[in-house]
Amino acid sequence: MPKILLVEDNEMNRDMLSRRLQRKGYQVVLAVDGKSGVEMARTQAPDLVLMDMSLPVLDGWEATRRLKADAATQHIPVIALTAHAMSSDCEKALEAGCDDYDTKPVELRRLLGKIEAILSGGGMASGGESAS
Amino acid sequence: MMKRKPLVEDIETYAQDIVDTVREPLLMLDTTLRVRSANRAFYQTFQVSPEETENRLIYELGNGQWDIPALRTLLEDVIPTSSVFNDFELEHTFPIIGRRVMLLNGRKLQAGHHGELLVLAMEDVTERRRAEEEVAKAKEAAETANKTKSLFLANMSHELRTPLNAILGYSEMLQEEAAERQLDEFGADLGKINAAGKHLLALISDILDLSKIEAGKMELFLESFDVAKMIDEVASTIRPMVEKNANTLHIVVAPELGMMRADQIKVRQGLFNLLSNAVKFTHDGNITMDAGRQLMDGREWIVFRVTDTGIGLSPEQIVKLFQDFTQADASTTRKFGGTGLGLALTRRFCQMMGGDVTVHSVPGEGSIFTIKLPAVVGEAKPEAAAEAAGVEAVLASPDDGGGDGAEPLPPPATCVLVIDDDPMQRDLMQRFLSNEGFCVRAAGGGEQGLRLARQLRPVAITLDVMMPDMDGWSVLKALKADAALSDIPVIMLTMVDDPERGFTLGAADYATKPVDRQRLSRILKKYTCPHPPCSVLLVDDDPASRAMTRNILEKEGWKVSEAENGRVALECMERERPSLILLDLMMPEMDGFEFADRVRRHPEWRLIPIVVLSAHDLSGEERRRLNGYVESILKKAGDSHEALLHKVRDLLDDWAAPRAMTLPRGEEKRATSA
Repeated sequence: MPKILLVEDNEMNRDMLSRRLQRKGYQVVLAVDGKSGVEMARTQAPDLVLMDMSLPVLDGWEATRRLKADAATQHIPVIALTAHAMSSDCEKALEAGCDDYDTKPVELRRLLGKIEAILSGGGMASGGESAS
Repeated sequence: MMKRKPLVEDIETYAQDIVDTVREPLLMLDTTLRVRSANRAFYQTFQVSPEETENRLIYELGNGQWDIPALRTLLEDVIPTSSVFNDFELEHTFPIIGRRVMLLNGRKLQAGHHGELLVLAMEDVTERRRAEEEVAKAKEAAETANKTKSLFLANMSHELRTPLNAILGYSEMLQEEAAERQLDEFGADLGKINAAGKHLLALISDILDLSKIEAGKMELFLESFDVAKMIDEVASTIRPMVEKNANTLHIVVAPELGMMRADQIKVRQGLFNLLSNAVKFTHDGNITMDAGRQLMDGREWIVFRVTDTGIGLSPEQIVKLFQDFTQADASTTRKFGGTGLGLALTRRFCQMMGGDVTVHSVPGEGSIFTIKLPAVVGEAKPEAAAEAAGVEAVLASPDDGGGDGAEPLPPPATCVLVIDDDPMQRDLMQRFLSNEGFCVRAAGGGEQGLRLARQLRPVAITLDVMMPDMDGWSVLKALKADAALSDIPVIMLTMVDDPERGFTLGAADYATKPVDRQRLSRILKKYTCPHPPCSVLLVDDDPASRAMTRNILEKEGWKVSEAENGRVALECMERERPSLILLDLMMPEMDGFEFADRVRRHPEWRLIPIVVLSAHDLSGEERRRLNGYVESILKKAGDSHEALLHKVRDLLDDWAAPRAMTLPRGEEKRATSA
């Protein structure tokens, strides 16, 4: 059962997404800000991180940068969740080292597709073509 | 003799009658400024009697209430040298009648045996001025209110969407759960909550988008994408709606459609809007969407057309169609839903991308909506041509493809290059300058700006000070370091949309410090006055660098005065008007920005060329400080957009226009060195 670390400060979003992922058969661990997200990634060793970008304490871009700079966590794929469908946000996320991104509000089927693609070793499922 | 006297009296009575008929107060003064006579309007307006008025000095009138310094200046300094003056504005508080604004007109005339008389006519414009002020205030208040509203809405976006997302998310979750547990009746109701939530979200998004556009915060995100693929996706989203009204959807895509470069989300939104309207207003009918590539005015366009067999629109409805918050019919909202913003938004989006949306309709027969967009939305046409030709991969060296563009480059001698990262401001500047008769090219960033400058050799460049990746100072430095570009005048400016103001550092030229002798003497040659020695004011706080520059200036035969900051410089200028100013930007007390701004606002100094001296290598910290100065000028004395644009035009007229008429560059060099 793959383990997903969900880093999200909004309580309802965290609750919804974690329950829906659990129902789809994932084990979900939670963090509420960027700093605890980075720590949890080290201690919990998840298979994948879903990272909200606008987070307190440490924002998602910086948290991702730290994950990707640390030998212990840099192999863990990170999917950015950006609040706005603004391509600048998405590009920033990819620049910070995210492997893929999805926009909020989350459309579960689309997000699941991206998660499965990454976990099965398929790499990026979408986006990125405009990043370079 | 006996016969002529009554005639003279008759004439004088006749003249006085005329004078009394005039509604403006009139005073007749002799050369000693003593009142010879006044008219009825004067007595009425100022509530005085002839006894208190006639044969008195004007300053004594009404117990000295006419002893007004500005009037003294006018009567004692202006009148002796000119026989007529017009519209001298005088503002004064009179003890009896209160504060008055008057326009004075005066004329000296020979009045026969009365000798020389001065007729002073006073037009009371107090009310007019007050009304003008009120109108200006009301206009400003209305604009501020509208802006505040738009900003508020734009900022509310997040606040409105967060709770809605929870409603959408939880209703969707419960639907999934209901499906799993086979609670079908719950599932249907939950589906309705979810659908209503999605509808609400779409409406809110429309309103927010429009306020974003109004607040000048809407941006374009350009990317290249496959048009046919995008149409496919839009069609699959709309299909459920099509089937609901028993319509049939036909998609006709030209085989050579290929790629386009635009803001994909906005194109999608526009197409979706046209299609959903077509579906909404058509029952049991046909909806056709076709798309093709067309060549018009030497450019490639992508044309999307949505044709329906629905209820159609009357000419009156068409007029209202694209207006914000207006649907074709008020009852339409109740019957068909929607905010009435969809088409207004679609039009704004298309226009932002350089295209438009149009409609052709016959009531009862159906409508055809057409979206026309440039195949390559963007800034520079040479690049655009290169990309459209499918050589996007060589973007790193677009010079290769630039010359092959279908459209020939205009003669470079008339071109102004606008470098600004903000598409709205760029567009504004571009449109304004084109209307003023300049040929304008625009670049969205420093790199592209430099590339275009090398390609086009514009007669002048307007350069945004504050840009995200390569700011104006770095671009300026690169321009001035390139021998081929260093002579192009650059107008540094910045515009912000909140508050709607701008600032231009109206400098004629730039030199870096420490000053390079050759460069400075080249600049000096351009600004030599007709009768040397010419005076130059050197404003710099560093004594050592002042001494060095002074040395160069004196060797070139200039008369130098020095000031250590802007305030001192302004004092110097009151004493002697220099024909050129050399200006350091970072100085204590009054910095170069504020000084330049003051000079440009002074009617007599406005046209004195200013050469800015800036540090050779600006550190990040120095750049931030420079930008800070620009910000503080914006806060203190920023111009309205309109005023700023006019300033830019004036500067261009002064510096760029004469160059446009000179010979091509090689010739010009020979001409100056001869």
